[in-house]
Amino acid sequence: EKWDMPMAYSGSNFHSATGAEFAKCITTGTGGAIEVVTHPSGSLFKGGDIKRAIQTGQAPIGERLLSGHQNENAVFGVDSIPFLATSFDDAGKLWKAAKPTMEKILADQNLVLLYSVPWPPQGLYFKKEVNSVADMKGIKFRSYNNATARLAELTGMLPVTIEAAEISQAFATGVAESMVSSGSTGYDRKVWESLTHFYEVDAWLPRNYIMVNKDVWNDTSDANKNVIRGCAELAEYAGTWRAVEYTQFTLNGLKAGGMTVGPAGDALTGELKDIGATMTEEWLKAAGPDGAAIIESYKSMQ
Amino acid sequence: MIPALKKVRSFLDMIYLASGIVASLFLIAILTLILVQMLARWTGEVFPGAPDYAGYCMAAASFFAFAHALNRGAHIRVSILINAVGPKMRRILETWCFAIGAGLAWYFAYYAVKATYWSWKFHEVSQGQDATAIWIPQLAMVIGSVIFAIALLDHLIHVLFSGDHRITTDIVEQSHGE
Amino acid sequence: MEEIQLIALFLFVLFLFLGTGVWVGLALLGVAFFGIEMFTARPAGDTMITTIWSSSSSWTLTALPLFIWMGEILFRTRLSEDMFRGLSPWMARLPGGLVHTNIVGCTIFAAVSGSSAATLTTVGKMSIPELRKRNYPETLVIGTLAGAATLGLMIPPSLTLIVYGVTINESITKLFMAGILPGLFLAFLFMGYVALYSKFSSKFAPADEPKLTFAEKVRNSRFLIPVLVLIAVVIGSMYMGVATATEAAAFGVVGSLILAASQKSLNWETFSQSLMGATRTSAMIALILAGASFLSLSMGFTGLPRGLADLIASLDLSRFELLMVLLVFYIILGCFLDGISSVVLTMAVVEPMIRQAGIDLIWFGIFIVVVVEMAQITPPIGFNLFVLQGMTHHEMNFIAKAAIPMFLIMVVMVFVLIFVPDLATYLPDNMRQGPGGGV
Ligand code: NA
Ligand code: NA
Repeated sequence: EKWDMPMAYSGSNFHSATGAEFAKCITTGTGGAIEVVTHPSGSLFKGGDIKRAIQTGQAPIGERLLSGHQNENAVFGVDSIPFLATSFDDAGKLWKAAKPTMEKILADQNLVLLYSVPWPPQGLYFKKEVNSVADMKGIKFRSYNNATARLAELTGMLPVTIEAAEISQAFATGVAESMVSSGSTGYDRKVWESLTHFYEVDAWLPRNYIMVNKDVWNDTSDANKNVIRGCAELAEYAGTWRAVEYTQFTLNGLKAGGMTVGPAGDALTGELKDIGATMTEEWLKAAGPDGAAIIESYKSMQ
Repeated sequence: MIPALKKVRSFLDMIYLASGIVASLFLIAILTLILVQMLARWTGEVFPGAPDYAGYCMAAASFFAFAHALNRGAHIRVSILINAVGPKMRRILETWCFAIGAGLAWYFAYYAVKATYWSWKFHEVSQGQDATAIWIPQLAMVIGSVIFAIALLDHLIHVLFSGDHRITTDIVEQSHGE
Repeated sequence: MEEIQLIALFLFVLFLFLGTGVWVGLALLGVAFFGIEMFTARPAGDTMITTIWSSSSSWTLTALPLFIWMGEILFRTRLSEDMFRGLSPWMARLPGGLVHTNIVGCTIFAAVSGSSAATLTTVGKMSIPELRKRNYPETLVIGTLAGAATLGLMIPPSLTLIVYGVTINESITKLFMAGILPGLFLAFLFMGYVALYSKFSSKFAPADEPKLTFAEKVRNSRFLIPVLVLIAVVIGSMYMGVATATEAAAFGVVGSLILAASQKSLNWETFSQSLMGATRTSAMIALILAGASFLSLSMGFTGLPRGLADLIASLDLSRFELLMVLLVFYIILGCFLDGISSVVLTMAVVEPMIRQAGIDLIWFGIFIVVVVEMAQITPPIGFNLFVLQGMTHHEMNFIAKAAIPMFLIMVVMVFVLIFVPDLATYLPDNMRQGPGGGV
């Protein structure tokens, strides 16, 4: 049996590498009974189409950015609340708190959650030194969803919508002057051609997750289900480890590119924490009791 | 032609032209959206979701124009064989082409309706900043592809009963692909 | 072996549909349907709608109808003849005469348009009638136009380079820079061919152009000013950071409307004709792109492109051999797929091969663009051939034959790139660094 696995990010990305190993693990582990074939770079389905494709059986298995679905249900955006969980450990705890709810929501959508791997922490990119929120006023900030647009609003920046494909050009031409993203985005896009400062504010750690169609899952033998679960566990561990390693690697890369890389100053950090508190409140309002339960469970782990 | 058929004829022709005009309005909408978004950016305002709306207009401009473009000979085909054979063979070939075309177009239209129905039923929402209920822009795909399928079937029937299709090729202003 | 059978079947169905005259977009749709139904367990109809809706409602596509509309407006006003009038006095005395306006016109327009066929339409609409009037050999006119229009893909902005840069995570600015010199050099090669043709072909006997003094030429060049202003606005807005490519296209439409109005050639009739023309043309392309996107998905499910790339990877070739194999591979693929699809479909496998062989990825981007440019003029699926077919009503095989010399020149260009890689890498390596400095 062949399982095509659409993935949104390029083949060289560590998520895709993790997915490829996961696929190999299943193929070997099931003795070839299930052959998983990964299709990175959105070469099969584009990122935004992957969840629906799996839900409706167009593809059996696939990977997607979890917070990509937050328009549909605010709970999906739990990993992207600024300054709520600001380290790999905390992000792990937050995921542990959120996982049962996620599994339930996804199950209602005919999906089975297999594993999830975080992206490196999100930092702020600028074209100049920034020491306080006041310094950000009027800067053209790349927003790609409602949360980042809101972040721009709260910091007094001007949100501009730039598609991922256009990031480099937008910075090169000055259409955008700042963004919030991981070190890896800046490294991949070589943003040091136009930007100068990267602040490791570790705003949040967004996650990718791997899902499988529930009907396909139910038709899978118990032995093979166990193999897949085992491979998923391994992949989650290996992927998270890669994320940690890759974080340092990309930060070094940004430095080598000539950027100033380092933590934000105390004043800025404090102001950003306040903005984080505001946005957590707003998220709780949108996410309802499910969201409140997750945050409560997360706080209890601290 | 019997009067009832004449009425159907002119009604269908009106539909094809009207959908073409609707498509052109969506093209103007693309231009307007992009200009407004630029203006907004220069003046420090925000127009969230403008690219998404422009994308929907793009789809609408395409789907609404398919039938009109067909009738005006804008859609491209390899006509070496059709032009080379005699009238009898030509009629068979045209029947085959329009049968394949109409079959595929109805197949597409059926699944477009199905997909849009599920988008509506699942309350599927755009993942962009616009957060539009996706069935609304998808309606353009449904309407456009149904009209396109009707047009192809219309030509097929015409080929079967009067020997030729009704595509008028004026100066085909075609361009671009990539 | 399985791949060979798959290819044979795909090709058979494709040729059957295309050859019998099924519309290209629908034929691609049909082949894709056939591929999914025959070779995979996936639901064809549902996947078709998912992928076609996603590709046809994409924001990046919106530059397409706008650039086409711009061309339609320019076509319906005096501007296009003016450009011809401004260029022709300078070209008339070159060996090959006014055929050079095809090439120079395409080079200039390529700097405003990200696409090959848009370049072709705009330039072709003004140059074909004028060159025919002057009795230039039809094959030369059609051929040079088909070839030179592909510069739209290489001279920035370029849709293909953007797609490539995103797929492979390379700097798009650098890729744009890398395209400039090879683009100009390729234009130079085309012009060289025209010069040689004019010397050695007995068919070359155009009507004489009136002799103009230098002052008259300069005076005639004032007709170029509106076009150059328009280009300056469109390109300038992009490079100054005022606008993205789509927005620059919007500038182009507004700019050409203003220019048309100032020439008093804008009225309700020209406006509505240009609008409806652009609507039909972009619908035509949208149908082909829709079919192509479904075919890409279908091929992705069957694993055919990747199987082929794996096959090549297993051969363990030297760098030069690898490039030769890829050249042939992409030429074959380019016969049936549009450039963007072949880049997206294969890059997952080709990228690691290229990195492993130590080939510069910016350079390879330009290599890919030349090969994709070739695909524009190879039958059965070559967009420039389709467009020219629509414009001139010549048969496909006539146009394809006329374009063969241009195809060969592009093959030469590939070897020039291989032996003089600096042509592509000089500008990106020496471009002004941003404030961040560094490499
Ligand atoms: Na170009
Ligand atoms: Na081709």
